[in-house]
Amino acid sequence: MMEEATKASSPSSSSAAAAAAAAGEEEEVWSWGAGTDGQLGTGRLADEHLPRLLSLSLPSSISLLACGGAHVIALSSGGRVFSWGRGSSGQLGHGEAATNCLTPKAVTSLEGYFIAGVSAGWSHSGFVSDTGCLFTCGDGSFGQLGHGNLESCSSPIEVSYFLSKHVDQIACGMRHSLVLLKGDPNNRVYGFGSCKRGQLGPTSNRTRSTSLPQAIQGLENIEIVSVVASGDHSAALSSGGRVYNWGRGFPGFSDVHSPIELSSLLRIKQIALGWNHALVLTDGGEALILGGNRHGVLGNLENLGLTNHRPDVSALVLERVPGLDGKKVMQIAAGAEHSALVTEDMEVMTWGWGEHGQLGLGSTCDWIEPQRVSLGHTLPDHWAKCSIYCGSGFTFVIRSRTSSGPHQDD
Amino acid sequence: MSYDDVEIEDMEWNGELQAYTYPCPCGDLFQITKDDLRLGEDIARCPSCSLYITVIYNAEDFADAAGKKSLEPSKQQPVAVA
Ligand SMILES: [Zn+2]
Repeated sequence: MMEEATKASSPSSSSAAAAAAAAGEEEEVWSWGAGTDGQLGTGRLADEHLPRLLSLSLPSSISLLACGGAHVIALSSGGRVFSWGRGSSGQLGHGEAATNCLTPKAVTSLEGYFIAGVSAGWSHSGFVSDTGCLFTCGDGSFGQLGHGNLESCSSPIEVSYFLSKHVDQIACGMRHSLVLLKGDPNNRVYGFGSCKRGQLGPTSNRTRSTSLPQAIQGLENIEIVSVVASGDHSAALSSGGRVYNWGRGFPGFSDVHSPIELSSLLRIKQIALGWNHALVLTDGGEALILGGNRHGVLGNLENLGLTNHRPDVSALVLERVPGLDGKKVMQIAAGAEHSALVTEDMEVMTWGWGEHGQLGLGSTCDWIEPQRVSLGHTLPDHWAKCSIYCGSGFTFVIRSRTSSGPHQDD
Repeated sequence: MSYDDVEIEDMEWNGELQAYTYPCPCGDLFQITKDDLRLGEDIARCPSCSLYITVIYNAEDFADAAGKKSLEPSKQQPVAVA
């Protein structure tokens, strides 16, 4: 264990760190959790129960990560895309369906574009260029690539349905995808892929999946600013801070075949979805949780007497995430059955299912309340920025600061 | 406790694993073989973690196949196969 830790933090292969340092920027990438497909970027096919500092060889700093079932997509600040982890369905976009890829590899077919957004689903991937083009690759057997067929592909292919439209965002779930368009005030949210659980909104009876994008009904005239998909859940956030949810019902609740607004008096600024729970972050920096009665993610819905009749999601109550002692939350993230957040003082906290070490606490225990994750010896407030990302059973953190820039407290 | 109840039609046949599979939240796949189903087994396990799902299927769909393959005489009338 110690030997490995030394190896992982050895400076021998830290060309990216050196390049970043030369640019006056300090950046650290950490990962932990399920790793048997190489998704942790450690160069090994093994789980990690404690955070590992990575030496990823990337040409520039990472602006965004997308973590899927067992693969990771990194977006560089220069608009380039790199991916690693499981590639058996072509989800890495490398042009061949390989079992797995242990280190970041460029998605070369997208190099003519400046990519501005990426999303990783269970076994498919989506990429959006700054010019509004959408590309997808990976498993297409439920139509989740949006190409009008059930083919899988190992190189990103442009979704021709949106050729004359400007795509702003893509969100990939287990077997479906959501797309947010820019500019169009109505019908700005589209979906494709599996729709059996209502994840594409209202569909004609007995339709199990659709491989061509269709507008999600029920969100007309609402200005949606972001879309989220995970498992068989779908959600959208409006410019007014309202949350709309549809798809598979949270534990004890029935499936929702049309977007329903969550009742909350608070203005929401971020949504994170797991496979059986959801997190939302309020404008005021409060984290709330919904659903999830397994693995200690949230207390017992059974005790509420909801097991016999299954109300829809509008009856769900958002509960405050416990154990934060009034600390403000900056960012939330959800894996399939675990949760993570970053506090205002740049602390990383995790809770939920821990069997693969995805909580980074050095054990495989589950935790009901957020626990502090220890990331090296630097004080958390040394960092100006800390971002957290969860895949199904694993977690990534990116921390950065500009060493020559103004102090963060200014 | 079973993680989920999943209908067989929502599982995918994986030729490499020779099993019906469904995504496990750990990143691996829940798996159940045709032989398991023929024997009436309804639990699909994940080889990487402690979780399992309950598979919902019509036992007769697989008992038929068992009748054809098994050396024991099937109770049902043999069906002619082209
Ligand atoms: Zn598993």
